Amino acid sequence: MEAPSPQNKEKAGKEKAVWDFLSSVRLAVFLLITLAITSIAGTLLPQGEPLQFYLERYGPNVFQIIKWLHLYDTYHSWWFLLLLTVFSINLIVCTLKRFPTTLKLYRRDSLSMDPERLERMPFKKRWEVGGDRAAGKMEACAAVFREMAGRLQERNDLGGGRIFLSERGRWSYWGLYGLHSSILVIFIGALVGLFFGFKGHLMLFEGASANRILNQKTGKDIPLGFTVRCNDFFVEFYDSGAPKEFRSEVTILEQGREVLNQAIRVNEPLSYSGITFYQATYQAVPEVIVKIAASDGRQRSFSVPAFERVSWPEERLTLGVMQYMPSVHGAPAARVWVGDERGPQEAFWVLKGQDKEIKRGNGEFTLTLVDAQERYMTGLQVKKDPGVWIVWIGCTSLILGFIVVFWVPHRRVWFWVGSHGGKTVILLSGQTNKNRMQFEKDFSRIQDALDRCLGERS
Amino acid sequence: MIPSSSYLLSLTTFVYLGAAVLYILHWIFRVEKVGVLATVVTVAGCAIQTAGIGMRWIESYQMGYGHAPLSNLYESLVFFSWVIIVVYLVLEWRVKNKVIGAFSTPFASLSMAYASFSKDVQDEIQPLIPALQSNWLIAHVVTCFLGYAAFAVACGLGIMYLLKGKSSGNSGGLLDALPDLRVLDELVHQTIIFGFLWLSVGIITGAVWANEAWGTYWSWDPKETWSLITWFVYATALHARFVRGWAGRKIAFLSIVGFISVIFTYFGVNFLLSGLHSYGSN
Repeated sequence: MEAPSPQNKEKAGKEKAVWDFLSSVRLAVFLLITLAITSIAGTLLPQGEPLQFYLERYGPNVFQIIKWLHLYDTYHSWWFLLLLTVFSINLIVCTLKRFPTTLKLYRRDSLSMDPERLERMPFKKRWEVGGDRAAGKMEACAAVFREMAGRLQERNDLGGGRIFLSERGRWSYWGLYGLHSSILVIFIGALVGLFFGFKGHLMLFEGASANRILNQKTGKDIPLGFTVRCNDFFVEFYDSGAPKEFRSEVTILEQGREVLNQAIRVNEPLSYSGITFYQATYQAVPEVIVKIAASDGRQRSFSVPAFERVSWPEERLTLGVMQYMPSVHGAPAARVWVGDERGPQEAFWVLKGQDKEIKRGNGEFTLTLVDAQERYMTGLQVKKDPGVWIVWIGCTSLILGFIVVFWVPHRRVWFWVGSHGGKTVILLSGQTNKNRMQFEKDFSRIQDALDRCLGERS
Repeated sequence: MIPSSSYLLSLTTFVYLGAAVLYILHWIFRVEKVGVLATVVTVAGCAIQTAGIGMRWIESYQMGYGHAPLSNLYESLVFFSWVIIVVYLVLEWRVKNKVIGAFSTPFASLSMAYASFSKDVQDEIQPLIPALQSNWLIAHVVTCFLGYAAFAVACGLGIMYLLKGKSSGNSGGLLDALPDLRVLDELVHQTIIFGFLWLSVGIITGAVWANEAWGTYWSWDPKETWSLITWFVYATALHARFVRGWAGRKIAFLSIVGFISVIFTYFGVNFLLSGLHSYGSN
């Protein structure tokens, strides 16, 4: 192999420096602090308003900054996404860099020890046993250790003796990877939702149905692939006036066939073929029933929802409801406008029980307000998010990983018997990577038991 | 006759104020008996408060509403102080040091005093509005406040660390009674770990709930964002241990900054910023 040239060496040195920087805890700390500080911006400034709003409220100078930094949508701005990207790279590089070390730790053979190393462990105890009954004692002590320490590994002829090892929680080294990768998993879940999901809104009158919804972001129509019908909407209040329940009774239809009847409440959405409907808002829309009698004897009734118009082509008449009052002197009243090509539009109030005579050109009409009622319109939030399960998996692994990292120790307790300098020696050693206090207690319990075993001199 | 919840909870306020004063007296005069009395008073206060919270729960059923007392600012303040006391008592029992009480119980007293005396805080039992009618309410509030309470105690420990760090050398002062810097550093770390776990679970249960109520698990509303800011601060504190020169003072400092962020998440967002989480503001 060729010796590396100075340039290559320098290049390799630089690469290593970049690699080290990207994997450093220092960068992680810097990113966490930066994310914390920059996140504040979006909570102080109103988000998602039209640009004009910021110009009027903050003046042209601050507006330039807001516009350049996308502070009107901070958490989707280029620099915030860049921070999150660097944060992800930091996590990935850090994981890759530590991986070989962890693998080595995980695979290391804890049985290939020698008595000298055992004596340098943080927890240790040494006994020397003499006399001709030593061999018997050894067996008894090994049995005691076996009983107290649980599952054991064992190897003979190690440094002139036998070694027993009780090891627990070696897998806990992987907890850190579960914890760190969980954040990436959550990001992936969010991206899946962003690219393969949608969010929309659906307003449905009682009795009305829809088979497509409006995408909130793009404004495009999304076909649902089935039909949703609102049968009824209910709103209930407590005596205090606070709302108690918003409920939409909904039916799902596939090719005209009813397949599902369910109520949607706040906190109780309806899911059907991957699409979920949430109770979001409602509107009470008045509907006025008017009867018009023409002077030629023809008459007709119309049901006119507020802000909509109806027409009577035979009489070349169009009318609509502009305003509605549930009670004027105890009777419902509506402001109705009438228009046709026979004259200018006119608007007037009609009270229930008081007919209104109107003249249009050479025709005369009598307008009667037959009845008025409120019709409810339910507002449903519609969502498809195939990434949500990935996010929940990420969240679960975040919590489990955290618990493993901070509370599951890797503990090893060794028991060695052999001869050393003509004497029979017993060594008890132990090591743990967390929760020393508990380990100390457990270790001294084993130590006491062995003390008792050896102390039973007869 | 069974006393009402509002009587029991008002009583708690005074008992906790008394306990805080006793802990501070114990710290200043170092009389063993005062310390024992402080613990006894705190435990008694905790028992009264537990009964008060239980009564409030029962009363809400008698009024026909029937929900856990975790639904508005008053109830959250009461629960906050309850968890601070429980976390502190466990710490006292494990560490066997009562000086920490002088830096922890005042948080619980302040929370109860604010709940009882402030005009902004309505203490009536109110029925649940539709958005709060969910089984996630209990899980979300309990986990969040476990985190908040641990962070309150961590803040107290952080203040102790910074005070003790100043005193190096001059003996005989008040600061002598504080535990060693090494011990305090470890306690700050352990308390932050505990709080961080519960804050994480609290944010996640909130996300699950939001997803069920509104169809989005994360919408960057100010409360959510501030809880994440808090999470970033404590994540920094947990990683700072592995950066040379950051252990000790800087982490103690972060435990105080973190708690300020908790307070802002809890109150500031309700009063100063607007968003989806408006239930907590009255």
